[in-house]
Amino acid sequence: MKNISFGQYYPAESLIHRLDARAKVILALLYIVCSFLCKNIISFAALALSAVVLVLLSNIPLKAVFRAIRPILFVMLFTVVLNVFWTKGESPLFSWGILTVYPEGLYNALFMLVRILSLIIGTSIFMTYTTTPIELADAIEQLLAPLKKIKIPVHEFSMMMTVALRFIPTLIEETEKITAAQKARGADFSSGGLIKRAKALIPILVPLVISAFRRADELATAMECRCYRGGDGRTKLHVLHYDAKDFLMMAVVVVFGVLLIGLNMLAIGYTM
Amino acid sequence: MSVAKIELENVSYVYSKGTPYEVTALDNVSACIKEGSITGIIGHTGSGKSTFVQLLNGLEHAQEGRVLLDGKDIWEKPKEIGKIRFRVGLVMQYPEYQLFEETIRQDIAFGPKNMGLDKEEIEKRVLMAADFVGLERELLDKSPFDLSGGQKRRAAIAGVIAMKPEVLVLDEPAAGLDPLGRDAIFTSLVNYRNETGATVIIVSHSMEDMARFCEELIVLSHAKIVMQGTCSEIFAKADFLSEIGLDVPQITGCMKLLSQKGLSVGDGIYTVEDAVRELSRRLSSL
Repeated sequence: MKNISFGQYYPAESLIHRLDARAKVILALLYIVCSFLCKNIISFAALALSAVVLVLLSNIPLKAVFRAIRPILFVMLFTVVLNVFWTKGESPLFSWGILTVYPEGLYNALFMLVRILSLIIGTSIFMTYTTTPIELADAIEQLLAPLKKIKIPVHEFSMMMTVALRFIPTLIEETEKITAAQKARGADFSSGGLIKRAKALIPILVPLVISAFRRADELATAMECRCYRGGDGRTKLHVLHYDAKDFLMMAVVVVFGVLLIGLNMLAIGYTM
Repeated sequence: MSVAKIELENVSYVYSKGTPYEVTALDNVSACIKEGSITGIIGHTGSGKSTFVQLLNGLEHAQEGRVLLDGKDIWEKPKEIGKIRFRVGLVMQYPEYQLFEETIRQDIAFGPKNMGLDKEEIEKRVLMAADFVGLERELLDKSPFDLSGGQKRRAAIAGVIAMKPEVLVLDEPAAGLDPLGRDAIFTSLVNYRNETGATVIIVSHSMEDMARFCEELIVLSHAKIVMQGTCSEIFAKADFLSEIGLDVPQITGCMKLLSQKGLSVGDGIYTVEDAVRELSRRLSSL
């Protein structure tokens, strides 16, 4: 576990990596809308194509992209099965016992598959893969800034998020150290029944929780020593700024959405 | 006397092998630690010291090479690696953060309990270990939270000593303690060796502590063992040590300066006590 970098940020040099983090959050949202606009085979084909273009633009190896898809393979399979067997149409393609498959079902399954895949690829390319978690927290804070007017503590939420993200690798490391230390005293985590194994975790969990509290306390003191007093009037070390490529990219995605609506008008094949 | 207790044969260890994050922690390392000795392991940060000690009790498994305990490969029967961990006790860095029981007594008893000893024997060992590290009996029924940092450190070391390991390995046992606390811990380690004949291995950054308490030294640099020998053999090579980012004890440097200024003091002075003796010898002969 030692060297797992937290999140899935993949350091590389690409147009998408260089985009403003706020723009990427907006782009991800726009892309989600796009994927729900598709209705017929042509617009879904365009969506699939756009996902491929995104992967190419982001300079992220296919292997890493598959890693994002793997956890939802089951969901995809489930969706496909559900759509194939439960969509009712006019003329059955074939039937087998109580199961009847209509061509509409096959279309629906294919469409849902493309939609889920491009959703995952789009959001992970725009957000998790090309944006560091800290940048992301920053971007969300600034995008939500208008909510401050109705007294929602946006800065505080974002600070909590940043701190939580910051401490995940620290806690993983701590867990490893404590596990090793208890193993050195003969703790056995891998044998016995469920209850015995759960009990075996106590020597790890107790010190881990204590150390989390200790670290939180130390962090709070350190922040106070540096006069941290919340978000009012606070300036940023890394100021985010939009430039031409951000607006261009957003315009491209909006145009793509309009194009999808246009493609839906073409009466070709099955429409969802 | 000089029988090898632990031997490393061409041991290599690489973290995250086969990924872009690959780091070589130990590269073809061979070493021999004598039975009953107090051996120090020194090296700058990231030289592989911590990996080295975790190989000794099988917390890490070397990808290449073998670790021998009394001439037998510790991984001969992988299922019985737990027994090796009772024989080679390891105290990790900042062990006070691993205390978890309600009382110090229960925490020290954790190791012996895992060994499957009976109640009487466990109680005997808890008291024995507490005595070794100089932990007062009335502290045993307190919660770890009520103890000072130094006391917690001693309690954690007692938790390993209670297993009566034949080899006691400690990673930076005195880090962050005041001088009195350091001395107390090192003295208790020397006592443990003297009374049980166990082998003690200490990792430390402090050359002064090493000079005072260790007999043998192993010097690690960039994943390799660059020197191995007695304290005087190692500290005689001050230039080489500073080349790899280490130092000789301050008093040794001080005595060297004195002799450069024309005061003829003997070589091989590594502790303040020796220096005091040497200087008073010189003074009385004037």
